[in-house]
Amino acid sequence: MSQIRKIHTQLKNKEITCTKLVQDRLDLLKSNTHNTVNSLLDTFALALAEKVDAKIKNGQEIGLLEGIPFGIKDVYMLQGTLATASSELLKNYKSPYTATAIQKLLDAGAIPLAKENCDSFGHGSSSENTIFGAVKNAVNTDLVGGGSSGGSAVNVAKDFTVFSIGGDTGGSIRQPAGYNNVFGFKPTYGRVSRFGLMAYASSTDCVGPIAKSIEDIRIILNVMSGKDVKDQTSYQSSEISASNILNAEEIKTVGYFKNFIETDAIDPEIKSAFLASIEKIKATGIQVKELDFFEADTLVSTYYTLAMAETASNLSRLDGTNYGQRIEGENLKDTYSITRSENFSEETKRRIVGGNQVLSQGFSDEIYLKGLNLRDQISENFEKDFKEVDIILSPVTPNTPPKIGESLKNPLAMYLSDAYTVGFSLGQLPTLTIPQGTATGLQITAAKNNDELVLKFANFLKDTI
Amino acid sequence: MMTVDILSSIKGAKPSEAVNKLFEAIKKANSTNNNSFNKNHTNAVSLDDLRDDVVINSPKFEKQLIIENFPKEKNGYLVVAKVIEE
Repeated sequence: MSQIRKIHTQLKNKEITCTKLVQDRLDLLKSNTHNTVNSLLDTFALALAEKVDAKIKNGQEIGLLEGIPFGIKDVYMLQGTLATASSELLKNYKSPYTATAIQKLLDAGAIPLAKENCDSFGHGSSSENTIFGAVKNAVNTDLVGGGSSGGSAVNVAKDFTVFSIGGDTGGSIRQPAGYNNVFGFKPTYGRVSRFGLMAYASSTDCVGPIAKSIEDIRIILNVMSGKDVKDQTSYQSSEISASNILNAEEIKTVGYFKNFIETDAIDPEIKSAFLASIEKIKATGIQVKELDFFEADTLVSTYYTLAMAETASNLSRLDGTNYGQRIEGENLKDTYSITRSENFSEETKRRIVGGNQVLSQGFSDEIYLKGLNLRDQISENFEKDFKEVDIILSPVTPNTPPKIGESLKNPLAMYLSDAYTVGFSLGQLPTLTIPQGTATGLQITAAKNNDELVLKFANFLKDTI
Repeated sequence: MMTVDILSSIKGAKPSEAVNKLFEAIKKANSTNNNSFNKNHTNAVSLDDLRDDVVINSPKFEKQLIIENFPKEKNGYLVVAKVIEE
């Protein structure tokens, strides 16, 4: 059931006022104990709500997204509001402009309620690497909210926001969506402009929605998509219509990676639930193929090597002179290094150092260049697979969410928990998490630019498994 | 050779064990085709599609926010950290 359509009808029929709707959600966000909020946009949101109410009162038509409350991961620019990236360094940083994707939602009338907690600069898979306190899972507060878009996924799961905009570099939308039983979509790289999203690893950074239904994902995706001169990797795409994703008859073959399932690293219950889903799909007459893929540790290492190299470069501007809270030292270089060592978290420093290691002379050939080479092979592998199958289905994570505190103690285990999401990031493929099939959901992936097919198959699975 | 703490501008930074394990895995990984490097650049913009090279003046409010974000201001000037000569 589309939450957006439901609320739109209630607003139109004057069953609720937009001001009450917004105020109620703001109250929920403010009093919540899941640590999902970095800053509330209450004044801004209520002023927008009043305008929507005035329009309805005057008998004017309102658009589908007009008055719909949403959340924004705190790595996006929204002019005049704080954009902290959950970091000490940007604790007081105010967005000078607004991200393209967010501006498009504002233009459509959606109302932003909060900047949401996440792992600092997207560096993490648990939303514990933050100065605002670890995000607590929507279902069990002893567990992590997932990451890095943890606050966004929990807000949607708890109905504090109708939808939220996350950011996904290696699984940061899909994994928290899976951990909190909601939908989370990473579109094809470039479908949504990255302008105004703080760069983590530019070659895989994607903007995407987290919501409670496929229809809501479709509506938000359509609004945010499109070419943007401010992000030259963005491209023009056509709108996905509701009627186009209702019939999945064209999907004849589904594949899954055998080595993701036949491993000791996967939780036995996730494995059996995944295989049971496969059986249900087979029973509908769809052919299911087992596919070969790269080892999980190769995928994770390739992703992290490239992501760390990119983040080391992207975050070099955060030096207390160009950006961020400066701590004065004896001279310029000293100021840079004190500012960065005091203000970056341990995880962020680990990634910057790792990135500079692989980019430095003597290491780049055997690690960084090899990583690029492996990435090309991964992409070629996907191209080959999508000649044989229409859709690839995978679990979202090998295990259920860890307890709060565990990931910080063991960073390597945290990196390895991304085994099933990072490959699709490297391939720049459209991938959706659905809250079905296993305890942490299923991922549906299609070939590049075929986002429509992903939503189509999700609709099909809704009634199949 | 420059050490990672200097390269990263982070005092006392050292390579970490967890990250080094990732690098070991990548060194060991099979790489079947060494000639494919740099093929994954399909996002490059075509020459016809480059945006115009024009200076866009920021609105006043944006300029004000940029100044607000700057670490220090003195007598109307933005102050950078003390520069050293080497």
